[in-house]
Amino acid sequence: MSDHKHKITKDPLTGAETTGHVWDDDLQEFNNPLPTWWLWAFYATIIFSIVYWIIYPSWPTNFAKRGFIEGATSISFNADSIKDGKKTVAGGEEVTVPWNTRALLAHEMQNDPNELKRNAMVKKVAGMALADVAKDPDSSAFVRAYGKGIFGDYCAACHQAGGQGVRGHYPNLVDDAWLWGGETADIETTIRKGRKGNMPAHKASLSDQQITEAANYVLSLSGEAVDAGLAASGKEIFNTKGCSGCHTPAATGMKALGAANLTDKIWTQAHVPEAETVEAKVKAVKTVISNGIQREMPAWETRLSNDEIKVLVAYIKLLSSN
Amino acid sequence: MAQSIAASDSTGSMAGVEASYVEQYDYDIIKKFAVMAILWGVVGMTAGTWIASELAWPFLNFDIAQITFGRLRPVHTSSVIFGFGGNALFATSFYIVQRTCQTRLWGSGLANFTLWGWNIAIAVAGIGYMMGITQGREYAEPEWYVDLLIAVVWVVYFLIYTMTLLKRNQPHIYVANWFFISFILAVALLHIFNNLAVPVSFFGTKSYSLFSGAQDAMTQWWYGHNAVGFFLTAAFLGMMYYFVPKQAGRPVYSYRLSIVHFWALSFMYMWVGTHHLHWTAIPDWTSSLAAAFSIMLLMPSWGGMINGIMTLSGAWDKLRSDPIMMFLITSLSFYGMSTFEGPMMALKSVNALSHYTDWTVGHVHSGALGWVAMVTFGSFYHMIPKLWNTSIYSIRLIYVHFFLATIGILLYITALWVSGIGQGLMLRAFDEYGNLAYSFIETVTFMHGPLVARAVAGMFFVSGMLVMAYNVFMTIAKRESLRTTEQSAAMA
Repeated sequence: MSDHKHKITKDPLTGAETTGHVWDDDLQEFNNPLPTWWLWAFYATIIFSIVYWIIYPSWPTNFAKRGFIEGATSISFNADSIKDGKKTVAGGEEVTVPWNTRALLAHEMQNDPNELKRNAMVKKVAGMALADVAKDPDSSAFVRAYGKGIFGDYCAACHQAGGQGVRGHYPNLVDDAWLWGGETADIETTIRKGRKGNMPAHKASLSDQQITEAANYVLSLSGEAVDAGLAASGKEIFNTKGCSGCHTPAATGMKALGAANLTDKIWTQAHVPEAETVEAKVKAVKTVISNGIQREMPAWETRLSNDEIKVLVAYIKLLSSN
Repeated sequence: MAQSIAASDSTGSMAGVEASYVEQYDYDIIKKFAVMAILWGVVGMTAGTWIASELAWPFLNFDIAQITFGRLRPVHTSSVIFGFGGNALFATSFYIVQRTCQTRLWGSGLANFTLWGWNIAIAVAGIGYMMGITQGREYAEPEWYVDLLIAVVWVVYFLIYTMTLLKRNQPHIYVANWFFISFILAVALLHIFNNLAVPVSFFGTKSYSLFSGAQDAMTQWWYGHNAVGFFLTAAFLGMMYYFVPKQAGRPVYSYRLSIVHFWALSFMYMWVGTHHLHWTAIPDWTSSLAAAFSIMLLMPSWGGMINGIMTLSGAWDKLRSDPIMMFLITSLSFYGMSTFEGPMMALKSVNALSHYTDWTVGHVHSGALGWVAMVTFGSFYHMIPKLWNTSIYSIRLIYVHFFLATIGILLYITALWVSGIGQGLMLRAFDEYGNLAYSFIETVTFMHGPLVARAVAGMFFVSGMLVMAYNVFMTIAKRESLRTTEQSAAMA
């Protein structure tokens, strides 16, 4: 079977010659030269690479005295300065070094027009009273844009991108109701220190009937058409079995404990607005009374800078005032 | 169907032909590898389409940990690369080495060991991923015990291949075999060094890499990119160098080009892995080196494409009349496109945009679906009827498969260009105050549309794979029933 003789043949279709090798009956190869354009393109990529290695200094060369061509393959930036043990970023003299990623980062942080614009605006807003921020269109537009970024990165995972929260888990930040207070100082404390919301479970201390009555009373506070008799007994339970201790006898809530105001129509925990029938609404409130609430917001003061917190507070104030 | 009738008409001579084939070449092992390749193809591509759908419609997780994206993704990659691609390479390399050396496989019992060893390794690894057992190294997820099995299988594969080459009845070694040998050698090297690890205990699954930090990352991506370079490129070029000229009935375009691009490709690939780590904590010069070598790799890659496509000169009409040729030439076109895209993405400035986005995923799939899978489909449609000494069940279904696959790939790549480049641009967009214009979640919201299109693209591609599985099954079933009829006729 095997043909060890070299029989170079000429192809009638293209005129190309074969190498004379034959495998597997009919497998052959032409001896065409390398395509010229292919060869020159290959050389071109080699030249490109050499230029690339000069622009991004890769080889330990010394042809330009300091190992780079100033301006073309170098990066300049202000070094950090250290005075009396205190480091100032970019506070030192300008240095010029061969291109490298760390130098590039320093250069861009110091010279990028976006970086400069943003730093100037952060400084401006951090120095303003929050009331003035809302009045100044340019500053409030900046707060909306910058705050959206921080909020999106750190807050939106729970409170959602629009700040609307998730009922049963994360409070809504765009309505007017504030569990822990909606004043600027309250919001700042919440962000800095975090919050721990805790309502005890009542399924052990109250009977199912008592929980049903309490739920009817709570719903009656925000004008739901519940059974008046049950609501009346519920009021008794509310005032004698511990509810009023946190929610206050008027049921308007207590800021210091994060206890919710039960007289508005806002439901942060119970799925009342989604419930279509009165029975379903009662059931939703009963779930909360039975199981209680344990939720926690982490503290951010070690993770965000003072300027960032300040802009974030301003941003949340702007969100809720819409 | 016309062909199948012709085949059954010639049954009389077929038995004789088959007898001589059985004597000349060891086809049994190739058949098994080919069937396994198709099975893994169905499994792996279905898994891929499933996880693509999870990204588009997250409820598909069903809160079952074992089928979440992170667990199922390596099941997909291992099944398609090592299950589908690996079994296809074993099958075609054993087919090609025998036919171009005119000899039977060396140590035929050993080939069966590679079949079982390889497939058990992938199955054990895959089940492990779903249970959370992984090294966390991309494309090298199997833990140490599977790695050991793979290493043994690979050494045996190397032995079978080289010993078969040594006992060839041909004066020259055909170009396809150079590519297969470079693939086997390089993968042995890559697999062993990247998986050097210390098991925590003899009976435990967990191990820790011998390397740490930047060295670990660079070792991993030296492996990772050369898995692409030698497993998914060099080896499949070997496949291409046999099946394209065979199917075209024309000589390979240029022997000289095949030599130059073979050595250039083998030399260049080894340096480029670090382009996966641009802008990270690695020395800058390693990054620059990798980018430059990636650019220099462009023409060596295109050498293979030119040699394949130009082989058709003198037989261009086959592009209209032969669906197998359509698969092969389309695969070479995608090969050319993705080996152009790759070097561009390896430039630091482009990579700053493309890295960590779906553009990378799209690029990988234009290579994996467009090149690797398409060249395998074409080769299999050529090889399978020959293995079973019959003709394909339906040529029409090959056309159907071709169009399902091509539409799938085009939709896939386009969707992920939109998703990846879009996300990349959003992440670097600034507003008038110098703030980043978008938060991360906004880029994810933007990606939803393209991700739905990508999942649909996957459905196209996997449907094509199912059509192929059916066509191959019917081809084999038809042949087996014919054989049974023959046998009973002979007995009577």
